[in-house]
Amino acid sequence: MALQSYRIEREPYYRPTGDEIALFEAAHADRMPVMLKGPTGCGKTRFIEHMAWRLGRPLVTVACNEDLTASDLVGRHLLETQGTVWQDGPLTLAVRHGALCYLDEIVEARADTTVVIHPLTDERRALPLDKRNELVAAHPDFQLVVAYNPGYQSVAKDLKESTKQRFAALEFGYPAAGIEADIVAHESGIEPALARRVVAVGERSRNLRGRGLEEGASTRMLIHAGRLIARGVAPEAACRMAVVLPLTDDPDLRDALAAAVGACF
Amino acid sequence: MESGVALADAERRLKAYVAALWGIDPPLRPLPQDGDPAAMRPRFDDALVRLPAVWPGMDLYRAALAHVGAHRMFSRPWPARGLKPLLILVVSLFEDARVEHLAMRRLPGLRRLWAPFHRTEPSASLMAADLMERMARALFDPAYRDGNAWVDKGQRLFFERPDRWDDPDFSLMLGGTLAGDLGKMRVQINARGHRVEPPYRDDNGGLWLHDTPPEPPRDVDDPLDAVRPDRIEAEQSDRRDGPPRSLPRPAPFAVADAAAMQPVARHPEWDHRIGLHRPDFVRVVECVPERRPMSDAPDDRRLTSRVHALIRHAVVARPERLRRQREGDRLDLDACIAAAVARCQGHAPDMQVYQRVRRRGRDLSALLLLDASQSTNDPAGDGTVLDLERRSADLLAGALDAAGDRFALAGFRSDGREAVQWLPVKRFGDAYDEAARGRLAGLDGRWSTRMGAAIRHAGSLLAGQPTLRRLLLLVTDGEPSDIDCPDPRHLVEDARKAVQELAGRGIDVVCVALGGDPGTHHHIFGRRNVLAVDRVERLPGLLPAIYAKLTG
Ligand SMILES: Nc1ncnc2c1ncn2[C@@H]1O[C@H](COP(=O)(O)OP(=O)(O)OP(=O)(O)O)[C@@H](O)[C@H]1O
Ligand SMILES: [Mg+2]
Repeated sequence: MALQSYRIEREPYYRPTGDEIALFEAAHADRMPVMLKGPTGCGKTRFIEHMAWRLGRPLVTVACNEDLTASDLVGRHLLETQGTVWQDGPLTLAVRHGALCYLDEIVEARADTTVVIHPLTDERRALPLDKRNELVAAHPDFQLVVAYNPGYQSVAKDLKESTKQRFAALEFGYPAAGIEADIVAHESGIEPALARRVVAVGERSRNLRGRGLEEGASTRMLIHAGRLIARGVAPEAACRMAVVLPLTDDPDLRDALAAAVGACF
Repeated sequence: MESGVALADAERRLKAYVAALWGIDPPLRPLPQDGDPAAMRPRFDDALVRLPAVWPGMDLYRAALAHVGAHRMFSRPWPARGLKPLLILVVSLFEDARVEHLAMRRLPGLRRLWAPFHRTEPSASLMAADLMERMARALFDPAYRDGNAWVDKGQRLFFERPDRWDDPDFSLMLGGTLAGDLGKMRVQINARGHRVEPPYRDDNGGLWLHDTPPEPPRDVDDPLDAVRPDRIEAEQSDRRDGPPRSLPRPAPFAVADAAAMQPVARHPEWDHRIGLHRPDFVRVVECVPERRPMSDAPDDRRLTSRVHALIRHAVVARPERLRRQREGDRLDLDACIAAAVARCQGHAPDMQVYQRVRRRGRDLSALLLLDASQSTNDPAGDGTVLDLERRSADLLAGALDAAGDRFALAGFRSDGREAVQWLPVKRFGDAYDEAARGRLAGLDGRWSTRMGAAIRHAGSLLAGQPTLRRLLLLVTDGEPSDIDCPDPRHLVEDARKAVQELAGRGIDVVCVALGGDPGTHHHIFGRRNVLAVDRVERLPGLLPAIYAKLTG
């Protein structure tokens, strides 16, 4: 079966933070394109992995960057001994065989790359392959999902209005403290009570967002701290290594954050 | 040999600390220095926290801010009317303990911060001050054993009911009981001269509402305090004192002459109350600043070269892939295949089969607009806010010029709606040369901040630029205001509208805020488009970085 290797066999752990699962299921039932918005490391990727598993669809992921061309998404001709063969790109694979296609950090892609998704995300639901003179009609199960982080850099980097308006959106933020502690405990293996403390460190750093820090600690960072603790590192040292030092080079903020970490344990 | 930490040196760290702990950012101000420094206690109200200007150590400052923050989170001030001073003292004692225990529930590490200051030991003293200091310790530390019946009773009642700590009335109730007991004991009390112990705790002033507030320590020697809140007033009285268009004090950097003041445009203004533009409501006059020598502050070579590198990098960073080239660093796969196919089919292959990456110049114009109103004369760093704006603009402009980015530089201020001054320093077509630098040096700070008009005028200049992206970068230390606008909301709403109008024309507007109310800025520019610079002195290094980031 096509895309076998893109299937997710075991349930990826995902702790819901609201009604996002039901909302996504509704959007999926309609094959509506969905955009996941939220800061880095807050669970967007994990969520889509979980949804692909739950819906029983293969998941094709593309990390976008500035050098990504339309051919990188759609496919290209390759030279073989007998001549050229066409190789589908990841987007085309997903379109043909009915996968969820997840374009991560979509704003990083150049506008001329992003427009290839336009015909897929309106009534046409088709992907034109100009170089092959082929119009691939989307498989009934195909759904497009994109993710991005609306940080302030997006003054320069933002999606075109014509792209943006093709999507429904789910907003992701850092989960409420109790939920985030469950996640940290689950992913790192530390005790829930200790995970609460690590989450308190996260809250402290998020209080500094816009007050010197561009962004507070992500759930991912807190899990890193938890894993260090699980390996026997003292909590304060673990948070220094996994949170304070990576977040900022400003000596005043480091001092303040380190002192605030001290208050958490 | 004065050892200790100066608030001025630690302020930024402490502000970040209290923000991290409690998510609040009260301004920190020094207490007026009179009397024994060891007797000074922090003092707070709902606007400010005052701390000793010099204190023995960082931990004392941190302990104080953690404590005040706990009050801000968990205390609600009570009316003090009709309450005996002794009652107020004892209730405050329980309230201090209550909020600290609530704080420690959330942040248990605070115990290690506060505990070292609770050093008092059991004793036979029956002085009220000693008893209360011991009560403070007993309420902080459940393991402490005092032996005095009054202290023990307070400790027992307090720790019996941790379930009631969430309720401020619990402090009132226990305080009432224990103050009654203390009144019946024959102890010496000096309620008025009482000093709260341990020293990190505030003087309780923030916990009580007095009908006639006890004389707050007005520190006139605090320049920020004296100038900031009354700025508009100061500006107006400044004007009332003098003839309409000249200030009484010698104007060191005057506009060249009246002939240089050209009316250049009229713009509408948004009236939020009626939801309509008032057409042609403001007049923009252009005043080319008189050229002055650049300040002789020594160039910071390291900073300059860092800024140049930063901008150069940002300006050329966008790569562009050129395909079907005769030479290049990589094969162009599609061209190769086409060539191979052609060869198989017996045609002459096109041998332009390489690709290379070229760093492309950018399609961007930027206008850097500086607030040149009266308030920019406020001291900052070694000079004034305006000095820093000028230094930063000069650094950035020099680097942009060297890198070849398209930009203009101007200042603005206003003196009523008929006199919104536009102070061009460098226009888009001009070079950033000595003349432009001279005009930048000639910018002075006066009058008010009619921001919407300036934004619209900037928009009209940017709209004419032939580039794909257009960016207005506005540097201000305050909020919109003008002498003929008593309603502060009016100009805020107008500025917000102006920003939306520019956005509608595809012009990005970003505000670099050196002060003023963040809420107002977010309202005007949108949260994403405000960059607050918390320490104005850092502006020269930051502004280019902000530019690089916005445009890179
Ligand atoms: N709700 C959640 N349930 C389970 N795990 C979560 C959840 N939120 C975050 N995580 C954990 O946080 C980690 C980071 O999340 P993820 O990789 O999904 O972030 P992201 O939002 O995709 O970030 P980026 O934008 O940087 O790609 C995950 O590996 C997972 O361990
Ligand atoms: Mg107190």
